[in-house]
Amino acid sequence: MIGRHTLDVVPTRRAAPRLGTGLAIGIALAVALLTLRILSPQRPSDGVPEQVRDFFTLSISVFVESLPFVFLGVILSIVVRIFVPEALFTRLLPRHPVARRAVMSLLGVLLPVCECGNVPLARGLLLRGLSVSEAMTFLLAAPILNPVTIITTYQAFGFDDGILLGRIAGGFVIANLVGWLFSLHPRQEQLLTPRFEAACRLDHDHPETGSRMRRGVLAFAEETSTMLPALVVGSAIAGAIQVGVSREALGSLGGNPVLSVLALMALAFIVAICSNVDAFFILSFGSTFLPGSIVAFLVFGAMVDVKMLALLRTTFTAAALLRVTAIVALCCLVLGLGVNLLA
Amino acid sequence: MRERFTARWAGVLISLIGIVATVWLAATGQLGLYIHPRYFVFTTVMAVIAAVLTIAAFVVVPGGDPEYGDDAEHEQHAHGEQARGGRRSLAVAGSVLVTVLAAGALLVLPPATLTTSTVDQRDLNASVAGPAAAGSAELAGGDQSSFSVKDWASLIRQGAGDEFVVGKTATLTGFVTPDPDDPENVFYVARFVVTCCAVDAQPVGVAVYSPDWESRFPVDSWVEVTGTFGANPSLDSLQTIAITPDAIDATSRPSQPYVY
Repeated sequence: MIGRHTLDVVPTRRAAPRLGTGLAIGIALAVALLTLRILSPQRPSDGVPEQVRDFFTLSISVFVESLPFVFLGVILSIVVRIFVPEALFTRLLPRHPVARRAVMSLLGVLLPVCECGNVPLARGLLLRGLSVSEAMTFLLAAPILNPVTIITTYQAFGFDDGILLGRIAGGFVIANLVGWLFSLHPRQEQLLTPRFEAACRLDHDHPETGSRMRRGVLAFAEETSTMLPALVVGSAIAGAIQVGVSREALGSLGGNPVLSVLALMALAFIVAICSNVDAFFILSFGSTFLPGSIVAFLVFGAMVDVKMLALLRTTFTAAALLRVTAIVALCCLVLGLGVNLLA
Repeated sequence: MRERFTARWAGVLISLIGIVATVWLAATGQLGLYIHPRYFVFTTVMAVIAAVLTIAAFVVVPGGDPEYGDDAEHEQHAHGEQARGGRRSLAVAGSVLVTVLAAGALLVLPPATLTTSTVDQRDLNASVAGPAAAGSAELAGGDQSSFSVKDWASLIRQGAGDEFVVGKTATLTGFVTPDPDDPENVFYVARFVVTCCAVDAQPVGVAVYSPDWESRFPVDSWVEVTGTFGANPSLDSLQTIAITPDAIDATSRPSQPYVY
């Protein structure tokens, strides 16, 4: 109680002058950046090679597209951490681990953020005391089991060839399977990066004090400091792959039941398209590819892709991500082949 | 302080860079160079909300919480100062580099559309083949004066060529990209179809038969082609149908260069 008191008093005493200075610096910097943007050249110069230009255009498009979703995810994660009482989770979630993970995999229905936003949100849930396997189940299932994705997949494919059903059922089963496998790990916290694990422990042992708004803004600075450098790197990698890898070979693989599944999984991995609209994208390849390969694209791409791995690496160790990728890829391959055999 | 940059300031700065870039693109009507119009409102609204939090961070972060520095200090002593210090410097250098790169790409480089280099990497017209082109029956009955490059490309790809397309006239706007099989005589008037953002852009195009076109229209320049569809006179091109142009005029890049 005493500690809390001192913490509350110190900032308020210095608050007034700092408020003005902070605001002034922030706004001045924003104006300076805007001026830089306005004074910079407006037309691409012809001297730059096309590949370099396209690399930047593609990377910038991934960044600009994902940024608002990351902001939304960060804000939701702050709400979960600071404004939602912890008791709500313990009271609402079932006790049995399998049922808990099943409920977590359906959380996307309430919080329809797409993949990029789910990573900060999952970090918020982990800080709130959820286990790694539960957070992983949420991360893998939420991009598929949310109303926006289900509606757009229905609009694109209807009930044709079991694509919609395969995506929903496959997403649910694979997410829960991975969650179950990770729950077998004797020390789940070892799957987290040491830095994030330390943050979880700190959060748990010394719940933060101070006004909620203040903590919320600090959390915004900390979460964006983790997520945005990863997003910059992820966007650059996604852009570089687009420039470096030709897609022309893909079309010729469309008719083969095994190769077509692998080809579209590879495409899903490199194109890193948001799960809310990926159905429209892949629809345009519909007649070239077998339905199983489309299901594999829609499930694999929603769970794992190059940009997601960059974002997830902020939170999970490389070894853990390698395992997730391998398991999800194998499951999607089996799912795709199964749909190809049945349809 | 160094610790604090990686832990807090990097995010605040990259947020600010991203927000300024987004708002400027939206204000100058250029967001469409990167993302699908359905995201315009969401992207702008989130940028404004994040701007409030980012500016607030400039007030709150300098004070921080006293615990933060102590803990970092504590850890440093516990784990061997030199190794830790070295890794931290590396982490700070990394964050600074990423921040500077983001600023360069988002605030200094001129906004641009995709070029022929990306057409080469992605099979032209591969994506108009699916049930997305199911509309082609409706298209064939519709008013063809409003047809876009994408509509014509999908009709031709669907095999509606001989009975419907041949003999029709059209005026199409797109950028110039060579037909790889007969680059001297045939170019495509092409557009990119975007589902989500420029990364998923798929090139579509209609062949135009115009020998020695490259001396008049550079690759990637924008043109307006008016002409009649007919059998492609080129012997090498794999495209059976091409426009024989009545007029090709150079034009400027439209404000919405992609089609949806």
